[in-house]
Amino acid sequence: MPYECHMHEPHPVRLVVGDDYRRSRLTVFFRLLLAIPHYIWFFLWTLLIVVTAIVNWLISIFTGKPPGGLHRLMCSYVRYQAHLSAYLALVGNPYPGFSGEAGEYPIDVRLPEEPVAQRRWTILIRILLAIPALIVSAAMAGSTGGNASFSGNSGRRTRGFNGGGALLFVCAVLGWFASLARGRMPKGLRDAGAYAIGYSAQASAYLLLVTDRYPNADPTEMLVAVTDRPPRHPVRVVGDPYDLRRSRLTVFFRFLLSIPHLIWLTLWGILSVLAAIAQWFVTLFRGRPAAGLHRFLAAYVRYRLHVYAYLMLVANPFPGFTGTAGIYPLDLEVGGPERQNRWKTGFRIVLGIPAILVNAALSGALFASAVLTWFYALVKGSAPWGLRNLSAYTLRYDAQTEAYLLLLTDAYPHASPLEGENTPAE
Amino acid sequence: MTRSRAALLALAAVWAVAAWLLWRTSVPAALHLPHLDEHSLFPPDVLHRAQHYSAVQRLFWLGTTITQLVVLGLFARYGVRWTRESAAGPIGTGMLLGMIGFALVWAAELPFSVLEVWWRHRYGLSGSYVQATVGNWFALGAQFVVLCVALAIVMGLARVRWIGDRWWMPAAPVFVGLRILLAFVSPWLLGGSSFHAPYVARLQRIERVHVPVRVLNGFAEPNAFATGLGPSRRVFLWKPIVDPPFTPRMDRFVVGHELGHLAHDHIWKSIGWYALFAFPLAFVLAVATRRRGGMGVPEAIPLAIFVYVVLLLVELPLQNVVTRRLEAEADWSALRATHDPVAGRQLFRLFASETLEDPSPPGWDYVFLQNHPTLMQRIEMTEAYAATASMRPRRPRSTATAGPAAARPVGRVG
Repeated sequence: MPYECHMHEPHPVRLVVGDDYRRSRLTVFFRLLLAIPHYIWFFLWTLLIVVTAIVNWLISIFTGKPPGGLHRLMCSYVRYQAHLSAYLALVGNPYPGFSGEAGEYPIDVRLPEEPVAQRRWTILIRILLAIPALIVSAAMAGSTGGNASFSGNSGRRTRGFNGGGALLFVCAVLGWFASLARGRMPKGLRDAGAYAIGYSAQASAYLLLVTDRYPNADPTEMLVAVTDRPPRHPVRVVGDPYDLRRSRLTVFFRFLLSIPHLIWLTLWGILSVLAAIAQWFVTLFRGRPAAGLHRFLAAYVRYRLHVYAYLMLVANPFPGFTGTAGIYPLDLEVGGPERQNRWKTGFRIVLGIPAILVNAALSGALFASAVLTWFYALVKGSAPWGLRNLSAYTLRYDAQTEAYLLLLTDAYPHASPLEGENTPAE
Repeated sequence: MTRSRAALLALAAVWAVAAWLLWRTSVPAALHLPHLDEHSLFPPDVLHRAQHYSAVQRLFWLGTTITQLVVLGLFARYGVRWTRESAAGPIGTGMLLGMIGFALVWAAELPFSVLEVWWRHRYGLSGSYVQATVGNWFALGAQFVVLCVALAIVMGLARVRWIGDRWWMPAAPVFVGLRILLAFVSPWLLGGSSFHAPYVARLQRIERVHVPVRVLNGFAEPNAFATGLGPSRRVFLWKPIVDPPFTPRMDRFVVGHELGHLAHDHIWKSIGWYALFAFPLAFVLAVATRRRGGMGVPEAIPLAIFVYVVLLLVELPLQNVVTRRLEAEADWSALRATHDPVAGRQLFRLFASETLEDPSPPGWDYVFLQNHPTLMQRIEMTEAYAATASMRPRRPRSTATAGPAAARPVGRVG
């Protein structure tokens, strides 16, 4: 999926990432306990925000613009929420301040310094307009504007309105083990967590009238300017990201139209498991996968991508049943059978568990994105840019995970929302 | 006479012989059905309700059918434009077009489905708006799967170079094979609980059909059916038919009817008729789509679906003639097995009050919609049986479970 950012005015709520991946093992180990003062503080602050947000909303309806003091308060809250989420999810290392000051934390959000005039009708129905963004935000970061990602000291997410956040949670749990072991946060998990926090901050800012710009779920736009791309992965998703047209009729019946594919995919999946078992023995003994099985499994993973892209409205045309390369707008590039590490092959299933967890977490975001895209596409006849690219990211990770588990490659799936470098890493 | 014409004649002769063999029945040819007056058999209010209810139901059927034809006609004309929504190659694109056609029909028929539920509710019959909308949505998904399998077979054969336009020759046997497979497998998929009644074993002995009789839950209407081939043969009773107001005598008649289907190999005969219709139907479809490039190209699919639906509509009266004959034979078999025309008569009378089936529908309804003999015809057969046996309607010999045959509603036994 090599593409440049969609060229338009940058979002006024921008993520800032100044983190160096280094983590203090001691603070990582006790992180949830160390954050106890923040839980209390955050709870009190949230109570204050709930009241002042209503006042802010009422004033803004009449004036068309939030008062300066309340605007700054909301900005501080959004920033503090981001800092705390980053600390809890191990996206950032240092202990955050309590005031939500700009520039004080390596994972920060840049917000409009002064309140801007907003359309009154959008202010009036802001909470309704924000619902789709809050759903996506909940699926990624568990944040719904007024709540933090985590509420307990055992990593459990808050319940009720704040019901999602699987991605950030999984990144935090996996990152905890990785940071304790290596003293560093893996880039993929860090980037995925930062992306979730960034989107959550945009959603919060929109809900709290900090900006009237709708949150943008495009991962590239969120991250490309603030962090490096990951190295090139042998399993890549390619396609035209600007192909946003959607047929309303096929969108309406998309699930039903996908049923034959889902049945076919299931049957093929059963065969693929058998083929993967055979491939496991071959790779373990030869150190290199069998070419025929590799082609078969690659076609399966590609077909799976096509079907999910169609089902989840990431692409428009009805896919073929053969997983042929080069015929679908969202396609998969898979390298040939390369030599693989026997240790990685032997313990492939065990090694794949973290990737499976991240993939499961991303599937929540994918589902939320698909449901919202369904409504959007029915009205507009096109897919929203941001959600389309969020979905493409989740599908890319799914394909890389599947490829890893089916021994197409021994390169671990990269959780970073950014596409890998175009040129192979040295 | 050319060779092809001779072959065609030979095929027609084979078809006619096969049809004659399948047409044979155990109902005496000389059986004379007495003419009965429906007003003497049904209370006026029951008759009025059934007739009024059925009259509007007929309108719904007409509306649905016309809508279906119009939508598919337009789809045949303009449906090709949806090929651009596919990246699936010819067969996959054909599948997509087929599914879109069905989806459009579903959407157009939705108001009728909802109206029908409303109409049923007005008459105190069961019906669910959720089932009529969301439930139908899932039914549409099942249709899609069947359609895709069918199109994969037809288009796959049509795209084989040495078969081409003659795809109908191998396709028809394939579909017949699938029908046999489905008939064989489906009874095991239906489940149900065992039905134990003392008369079952006796009926099985009389009909010489020793098959399980099972009860299916989850249905609101009284009904029953027989299905399966060889070891998978089963009789299924919908739960309401074994509950009051139905009496054991009526149930005995119902079981006798269903065993009669199996005793006279009606499942095989149905498959035989299906095969006889499948060949000409597929042939006409092949000819009709030739101008659009034949069934091997997706552009022909919208037209093919339209033609197929029209053919089914044309074929419907013929199918109904066949099924009415099979049902009549099953009724006759039940009468001979139970020697209880009274139970049969009461059973059929109950249909009118419970399912609001019109005892004697108008001619066009009879031709297009009645795949069973009318209630009046069925009651007349019980009278004819009583007369033929030179006996008055009497109580059955097995009285162990036979309660009073109170007039209570029954579903459509088929």
